[in-house]
Amino acid sequence: MDLYGKMAATQDVKGKGEGGDQNFDYMFKLLIIGNSSVGKTSFLFRYADDAFTSAFVSTVGIDFKVKTVYKNDKRIKLQIWDTAGQERYRTITTAYYRGAMGFILMYDITNEESFGAVQDWSTQIKTYSWDNAQVVLAGNKCDMEEERVVSVDSGRLLAEQLGFEFFETSAKDNINVKQTFERLVDLICDKMSESLDTDPAVTTGAPTAKLTDSAPPLQQPGCNC
Amino acid sequence: MSPRTGIFAKLTPPSAINPNDFTRLISNCISFASTRTQEYLVFKDPEGKLQPSPLALTQVTHRSVNLDFTDTFNCTAMTPEQRILLGADWVWAILEKPTKNPKIQIAVQVLHLPEREESRNKNVYQRMVEFCTSIGKDCYALFLFFGKRDDKENIYGVLSNNFAAAFGKCDKIDRALLENFFKGLATKPCLFCQQLSSVKLP
Repeated sequence: MDLYGKMAATQDVKGKGEGGDQNFDYMFKLLIIGNSSVGKTSFLFRYADDAFTSAFVSTVGIDFKVKTVYKNDKRIKLQIWDTAGQERYRTITTAYYRGAMGFILMYDITNEESFGAVQDWSTQIKTYSWDNAQVVLAGNKCDMEEERVVSVDSGRLLAEQLGFEFFETSAKDNINVKQTFERLVDLICDKMSESLDTDPAVTTGAPTAKLTDSAPPLQQPGCNC
Repeated sequence: MSPRTGIFAKLTPPSAINPNDFTRLISNCISFASTRTQEYLVFKDPEGKLQPSPLALTQVTHRSVNLDFTDTFNCTAMTPEQRILLGADWVWAILEKPTKNPKIQIAVQVLHLPEREESRNKNVYQRMVEFCTSIGKDCYALFLFFGKRDDKENIYGVLSNNFAAAFGKCDKIDRALLENFFKGLATKPCLFCQQLSSVKLP
């Protein structure tokens, strides 16, 4: 049995029959990673609470939020882990990579160093996560066009080389935030369906409907600002 | 750099301030915060209407320690989720210039009297020790007791960057184990302030 299918099915069975907040069809564990101050926490705040503050508070260690989304009448509970970007927390943050089904790897389009570190973060994913984890590369702060030092093309090219999807985003102006999460969820659902098709045994206890039946079209990755 | 506002201004006259003496700055502030918290600990509303919750008491302390040195010192309150994950209520940090990366951190966990304590995961002590250990020797764990069974009106603290070694052979860390650090000591409020002063700061 493919590990991906096993995880999805197991989590599905766990979620069933439980009341209140535990009532979901699937649970996806997602991580947001990237250099310090690229906007990971703001990105999550925008998505989960539709809020933004320009005050910078460096994340200590790790934090998380939960958000439930619906896809083809299925409730998908997203457990989104917000990791600290600073090196000193690396031991604790990498411990949470295990079992993650998706990553948002973020850099800041106004910070060359954060873009240069993408390759290293990608290696971290490969080292501490598992092969089927899906990754979306996000170039954040695209509202700050005047301070841009990383072009859209550079971001897109790197994403292609690494085999990741790509968006430019702005937590501040709420650009492509929801789309980034939705695309990551779609990628995970696609992968999950592939696993179920490959090995029907994993469908035991899992819903029969495919989550990919009416996947939305790809979003425009560029920043429309 | 000079302190301008905040409670520190009330503690020490400006002329007596050595900008590099963080130990004194922080200890003074913590001392002030402890005194303020102590007032709540011993306060009894004659009508029995005001009873500060453990969380409120915790917030009195960490919000009182608000040095006006945002580029060299900060205090980060943990979210409810982080309190569960990391075991800390807040984290103080002395920052490195110009990166503003923490140079020394103190993760603080408040322990209330058992009768006041809200239900808390038993592993919360262990979690904070593990969190500090994962960072390294420049991260200290401070367990802050808002009253002890035999002295309900004082605040005690035990601070170390080496709890993992101290508790190495123990199956679990609990309140009783932490209180052992105070055995043989005379009643001394704000003990942790004195311990803090022994921390070598930059």
